[in-house]
Amino acid sequence: MSRKPLVELQDVRKKIGRKEIIHGLSFNIYGGEVFGFLGPNGAGKTTTIRMMVGLMKLSGGKILINGKNIQTEYKQAVSNVGAIVENPEMYKFLTGYQNLIHYSRMVKGVSKSRIAEMVELVGLTDRIHEKVKTYSLGMRQRLGLAQALLHSPSVLILDEPTNGLDPAGIREIRHYLRELAEKEGIAVIVSSHLLSEMEIMCDRIAIIQHGKLIGVQSTKEFVESGSTRKVRFLVDEVAAARHAVSHHVKDERMTLGNGYIEAEMERDLIPEVTATLVVEGIKVYGISSETKTLEDKFLEVTGGKEVV
Amino acid sequence: MSNFIGLIRNENMKIYRRIANLIMLALLIGFIGLNGIITKTEKSAPVKDNWKQELKAENASMEKTMKKEPMMKEHYERLIAINEYRISQGIKPQENKNQWKFVSDSPDAIQFILIFTIIIAGGMVASEFSWGTIKLLLIRPVSRTTILASKYISTLLYALLMIVITFVISWLLGGVLFGFEGSPRSFLSYTDGKVVEENLIWHMWKEYGFASIMLLMMATFAFMMSTVFRNSSLAIGFSIFLSLSGTLIVQFFSSYDWVKYILFANVNLKQYFDGTPFIKGMTLNFSLTVLAVYFLVFIALTWIVFKKRDVAA
Ligand SMILES: Nc1ncnc2c1ncn2[C@@H]1O[C@H](COP(=O)(O)OP(=O)(O)OP(=O)(O)O)[C@@H](O)[C@H]1O
Ligand SMILES: [Mg+2]
Repeated sequence: MSRKPLVELQDVRKKIGRKEIIHGLSFNIYGGEVFGFLGPNGAGKTTTIRMMVGLMKLSGGKILINGKNIQTEYKQAVSNVGAIVENPEMYKFLTGYQNLIHYSRMVKGVSKSRIAEMVELVGLTDRIHEKVKTYSLGMRQRLGLAQALLHSPSVLILDEPTNGLDPAGIREIRHYLRELAEKEGIAVIVSSHLLSEMEIMCDRIAIIQHGKLIGVQSTKEFVESGSTRKVRFLVDEVAAARHAVSHHVKDERMTLGNGYIEAEMERDLIPEVTATLVVEGIKVYGISSETKTLEDKFLEVTGGKEVV
Repeated sequence: MSNFIGLIRNENMKIYRRIANLIMLALLIGFIGLNGIITKTEKSAPVKDNWKQELKAENASMEKTMKKEPMMKEHYERLIAINEYRISQGIKPQENKNQWKFVSDSPDAIQFILIFTIIIAGGMVASEFSWGTIKLLLIRPVSRTTILASKYISTLLYALLMIVITFVISWLLGGVLFGFEGSPRSFLSYTDGKVVEENLIWHMWKEYGFASIMLLMMATFAFMMSTVFRNSSLAIGFSIFLSLSGTLIVQFFSSYDWVKYILFANVNLKQYFDGTPFIKGMTLNFSLTVLAVYFLVFIALTWIVFKKRDVAA
């Protein structure tokens, strides 16, 4: 991409005590995209987000937001950022509205009408004057989003934003985040465990594991790229089919069923396997192949097998 | 600057919108009310016309006791001198029950104010961590130093407000119970072997002033504990414990020379104006220096820890 990145991570490192938690992360995030931050528990997503908003100091490397270094030009850098870090914890003894007033006093130029607009946007108008302790988790999440958007930031960072939302709420937020990115050119960064969510919501995804970047890919490439998929052949003689397929695929990558055989293989292999089956005189009634979901892919990449 | 006032308003909102803190305010007012009722119902002998004879008799008996109890010599000397001053100047002893006397006793409430202020100070930073709100508080275009300053100043404003409330409520209640009076009477104080006539209200504010030094030091200490340990129970508990046992600690170690460097040997500046210093050789300047050093250490530690710390709450 030729555009100027809104967020730049350059060899970001974090050591806590003697333990290195983040081992040199580098990537750029651009305006107008929803960027997913994917990794298993303890991968270092929250730690990275904490460094991006200045809650934690970097042990090495640097983070630029809109070209400003978060460590040395903190105020300018952070004034472009709206964020929720982990759970959206608010002052429970205050009303939702008082919470928003509280944060609006900490930035310049947030008017009452802007607050009302945000309340409307996250759908809390009816309950905004009630104490936060009476809110459900989903309502707190919405209030957290309103708080993050108050000052019209150009970078929005949300740590697990769909946590606690009902399906309708998730769809709403997803829709809204896409809109923010597309219409207002905001860089939206989300981390999430709901991988299927990421797949629909994000343009690009960074996978981290054990504090290392495994790769950054566009969602589309990521799902389709290389590697194997499960292919199911509907056949008359399963045992014979197994023998035929074993010329191409190892036994442990096959599953036998009643009237079908499933085998994991690359896309290019499908015609060859089919040809072998036909040559061996096995009747093939049908072939189906499923594309991997991001979830499968994710487990494959980060799972115990250490594929990458 | 308008930004800073906004921060103070935020902190105030977080103090005064909490039921627990309003209950503390109610307790303070309750204490003053109780004090008023006790004073009102207390029996006290009216000042008789022959009060000069009575004071002379009192002095004579005090002189006798003084010889028996040399430890209390200074205490009696002071009372005798004040009585003699009354006789020579013709100032009638005060009746206990009047509005200004009641108001001038209001510094008694400072013990409560001290404890309540410690409670507020001890929660100021620690609560933000335990609520998890520190994360959203610190990701604004405001420096940590400014946020810390707004919290500290709000704590001090709370103490100041408590003092003002105590004064106003005492004045109102005193007026209601004992009748409103125009100008306050004078107060006799004894300094360096001489009796001095003072305005009662001036005297009262001096009492507040002396007590406020302890208030300021302990509030700052609790605020520091709150920031360093991020645990409000610990900060509050430890600070209240020290406030209550400070004098005891000083007495316990009074035979050692280094005891004069302990904070609590220096917080009571009244010892230099009315009475004698706690340890021979201590001077007002010495105490002010010690206090300043403690204060700066508390503030510096608070600031460094708050500024440097990674927020992982
Ligand atoms: N304050 C801390 N002290 C020591 N280690 C820490 C600290 N905070 C985090 N870690 C470690 O850093 C690693 C990354 O933690 P982090 O919270 O960033 O993970 P995460 O990707 O957000 O995980 P999750 O998906 O569970 O939210 C973990 O191994 C964790 O144990
Ligand atoms: Mg996390």
